[in-house]
Amino acid sequence: MSNLQRSEDLRALVPRLQAMSVVATLIFVALLGRLCQLQILEGEHYTRRAERNFIDEVVVEAPRGRIFSSGGDLLATNRPAYTLYVTPRPRVQIESEDPNKPPVGARVPLEDGQIDELAGLIDFVDEADHDAFVDKIRERRGDEKNGIYALAVRSNLSWQEYARIETRREALGEWVEIRESARRFYPRSELVAFLTGYVGEITPDGLAQAAGAYRPGDRVGKTGIERQWENYLRGRLGRRSRVVDVHGRAVADPPADALAALPLEESPIPGQDIHLTIDLELQQVAANAFEGKPAGAVVALEPQTGRILAMVSVPAIDPNRWQQPIPQEAYREWAESPFKPFIDRTVQEHFFPGSTYKVVSSLAALDDPTFDPEREIVCDGYVKYGGRKFKCTHKHGPVNLHQAIVQSCNVYFYTLAMEDVLSLERQEIFARRTGLGERTGLGINSETKGRIPTEAFEAREGTYQRGVQLNSAIGQGNVTATVLQIAVLYAAIANGGQVMTPFLVDRIETHDRKLVFASTPQVRRDLEAIVNADRQRIHQALIGVVNDPLGTAYSERLPNITVAGKTGTAQVGAAERRQAGIVRPEWDTTKDHAWFAAYAPAERPRIAVAAFVEHGGVGADAAAPIAMKVIEHYLSRTDDPSAAPIRPAGEPPPLPGQRLDAGAGPRGPRLGQLGGKSP
Amino acid sequence: MSRLGAPPTRMGRLLRSIDWVVVTLAIGIVALALINLNSASSSAWSGKVQTQMRWIGLGTIAATIVAALDYRVLYRLAYPAYAFGVGLLALVPLVGIMRNEARRWLGFGEFQFQPSELMKVLLLLALARYLQDRGGEKRHRSRIRQLLVPALLVGVPVSLIIVQPDLSTSIICVLLTMSLLALGELSVKEMTGIAITGLVTMVLGWGFFMLDYQRSRIDVWLNPEAYADNKGYQTIQAMIAVGDGGFVGRGVSQGTQNVLHFLPYRDTDFPFAVFAEEWGYLGTSMVLIMFLCLVMWCLNIASQARDRFSAHLCVGIAALFFWHILINVGMVLQLLPVTGVTLPFFSLGGSNALTMMIGIGILLSVSRSRRERA
Repeated sequence: MSNLQRSEDLRALVPRLQAMSVVATLIFVALLGRLCQLQILEGEHYTRRAERNFIDEVVVEAPRGRIFSSGGDLLATNRPAYTLYVTPRPRVQIESEDPNKPPVGARVPLEDGQIDELAGLIDFVDEADHDAFVDKIRERRGDEKNGIYALAVRSNLSWQEYARIETRREALGEWVEIRESARRFYPRSELVAFLTGYVGEITPDGLAQAAGAYRPGDRVGKTGIERQWENYLRGRLGRRSRVVDVHGRAVADPPADALAALPLEESPIPGQDIHLTIDLELQQVAANAFEGKPAGAVVALEPQTGRILAMVSVPAIDPNRWQQPIPQEAYREWAESPFKPFIDRTVQEHFFPGSTYKVVSSLAALDDPTFDPEREIVCDGYVKYGGRKFKCTHKHGPVNLHQAIVQSCNVYFYTLAMEDVLSLERQEIFARRTGLGERTGLGINSETKGRIPTEAFEAREGTYQRGVQLNSAIGQGNVTATVLQIAVLYAAIANGGQVMTPFLVDRIETHDRKLVFASTPQVRRDLEAIVNADRQRIHQALIGVVNDPLGTAYSERLPNITVAGKTGTAQVGAAERRQAGIVRPEWDTTKDHAWFAAYAPAERPRIAVAAFVEHGGVGADAAAPIAMKVIEHYLSRTDDPSAAPIRPAGEPPPLPGQRLDAGAGPRGPRLGQLGGKSP
Repeated sequence: MSRLGAPPTRMGRLLRSIDWVVVTLAIGIVALALINLNSASSSAWSGKVQTQMRWIGLGTIAATIVAALDYRVLYRLAYPAYAFGVGLLALVPLVGIMRNEARRWLGFGEFQFQPSELMKVLLLLALARYLQDRGGEKRHRSRIRQLLVPALLVGVPVSLIIVQPDLSTSIICVLLTMSLLALGELSVKEMTGIAITGLVTMVLGWGFFMLDYQRSRIDVWLNPEAYADNKGYQTIQAMIAVGDGGFVGRGVSQGTQNVLHFLPYRDTDFPFAVFAEEWGYLGTSMVLIMFLCLVMWCLNIASQARDRFSAHLCVGIAALFFWHILINVGMVLQLLPVTGVTLPFFSLGGSNALTMMIGIGILLSVSRSRRERA
């Protein structure tokens, strides 16, 4: 063992020690430089990234705008509810001590077991409902991009579900959250089902089209006003943010800097309230009038303005049903029902107008200078044309135009068609002038146009025969119209010849009652081409239909009110007749569709009504009583203002709520023009 | 030699014999490290931090004893101590405690201890002694034989450590040996040769011999963003923490990356990131300068050493701190790939703290002898 002695060559070590000092210093300077780069030069960038880590933005739902009737009754409102949110983001694995577990930083997706555990706490209506729920979460659990947002997986939890989930909260983990929200409630259930429509979860297609305006799980208007005015009803989402830790949990006492970094809270702006023109009482009367009649529709409107007073389609589904998951069984039942409860019969379905179309035929005939309305044609109960027999209801004997309308004689119109007074072309011109064959412009529930045959159309279809011209003249053949179109047509005759654009929305107000929009009556098509004398002639004939003892609706006349109207019986196609037969006592598909279109009081019309009963039989028996009840109720109401006189053609229509004789006032914003101005 | 001219008392002599530079630096660093560790474990001076404080207390006692010894005693004890350390290492595979699929600990009841950490200092002692005894005798023996003994001295413990497995400690042991040899044994040419050989081996190894998981670690290091959701996560979160600190920092226990737990391994591998976030550039530059001062002071003591043993010992202690700091801070700053090398005093780990304190003790001992004899 050597002794520790002062070595001779220690001095030789000094250069190496100096070199080491230099190297060490240089390396520390390099570390300090790197720190300077990260902390001072790029510090801002990393601060932003740190914020992205801990800031969690929570969307605050805006209460949806409500829908009111004209009398201020609630038709659609919100009720407090609980919505189940799931954030299926893969979790970051932190501090994994167990090597069998995923490494630190690994994203661990939700396990099937976790999803099943949550699903076990929810009452599903059927197997499909359960599967849809589980699939929805599974689809999103691996989605890095969207998985970070809370997804509304179940709206309108029941109290039992709420309690069950809350008690299992800790065990379920932080990915499950229940938030207070609102559920849509329709206090009048079926009564205004097709008008308000309903809200439901946005579809993937809708989501794609919305381009970020909606998030998955959002509820949007699906039909009716809810859909048409979605952008007004929806309001604007608010934003709240919070500090979360790496597990996504909100932190109770976060560092002050973190709180300061949170973006400002944005309060939600409630949706705007929509006031409809609907007279709820009248709507109820109209709906009640359908008792015992499984399917049909009635539309009542103000002839001078086009304001819709009542609009009923039966049967209808309670829109509240859509706020809960619907068992497939129930859905199938609706889909297979012969009464088609999904269809809004006022605008979505078109039917032969039958004899109600004769006012169009008459207008067309009167346009022909060679036509003499006083000339009598003898009705033998049928007419032969092209080897076919065209039947009338019975032998009417000699009838002129007035009597042909009053007694609804088909032969009279067949003859005019045979003589080419009622050519298809002329019929088409007048049908279009009176608003048939095109949408009325109401804008809800995907309105259909109906059909007005032209020679070109018939030729294309290969169905053109001269016989078509005959059938068209009495509203059969290929002529179809919606109930709303017929109501608008009769309103036009009532108001002096103006086809109005019907409207349902009276005004829109913000939640603090500032006027956003007010409807003004819109003339869509002016019947000025019609000589007032012609209109008067038809008007007189329509009065005769109800008030002449020979009139087809004489039996239905009202004691105090002079009603002008026209019955219609639309023949059901032979094929349809054969197909079904009697399903239920009140539903005989061999029976014709019944129509009655009218306005009253005849002197100064205040209401125009079109009633339609599917397979109701003869118009006078089935449809007329419904229309009469509506008219009687509306006109008998003491609080109603005085009747409006018939307005001469060409004069501008009055403002909403303003009667014609009140004089012209300032014009409000027109349809489609929107501003925050309040009058 | 008293500046005041008063006769040196026994107490005065003792106080003057203490190297206050080392003591001040050590106290400063340990204090900052403990504050930071407490912040990183977010549990008011309890649990892990208390354990760490106990270990540092134990380390302080050990350091005091070592400092009180004449360093010539260390010279005499160098080989037996080395043999004792190797003995402990040899026990690890037999009776060691398994944690995280690695067998690195020896346990005596509650007390758990990592012999590989202590081995770092014992290796330094043995190497310093060998270089005192045989070093500088350049012409007498063949080069190969001359370097064979140091290679064996490091080879035996490293082969025991690497099978635990503990790559980080093995690398540190090799680097320590290289640092000691660099002082007096290797010529510039040889060092260049070793450096080039090392680089070539690394490149070749990366190309041909590395296993996929090892290669992917390099990948992650070079491009952590591509692995942000998995292996690059800790690297990225550490960088965010460092950058978020900015110039003045967020304040103790106020760093969001730390207290909201976005940063993993806050108390073991990444305490420097926690420190950087909460103390900012002011804090990080201060700590790095304190560490640099410590390293430079070690080299300064070495330059005044009376014999090769103490000179090598001081360089060894300097290297011990230097490599730990460089590899750990380099990892946090994404200059080096992620390894398990700790930051002295800042990282949670009793054996490591004890070893570092013993290193301080050795430094004090050498420094004292230097002063006493001056």
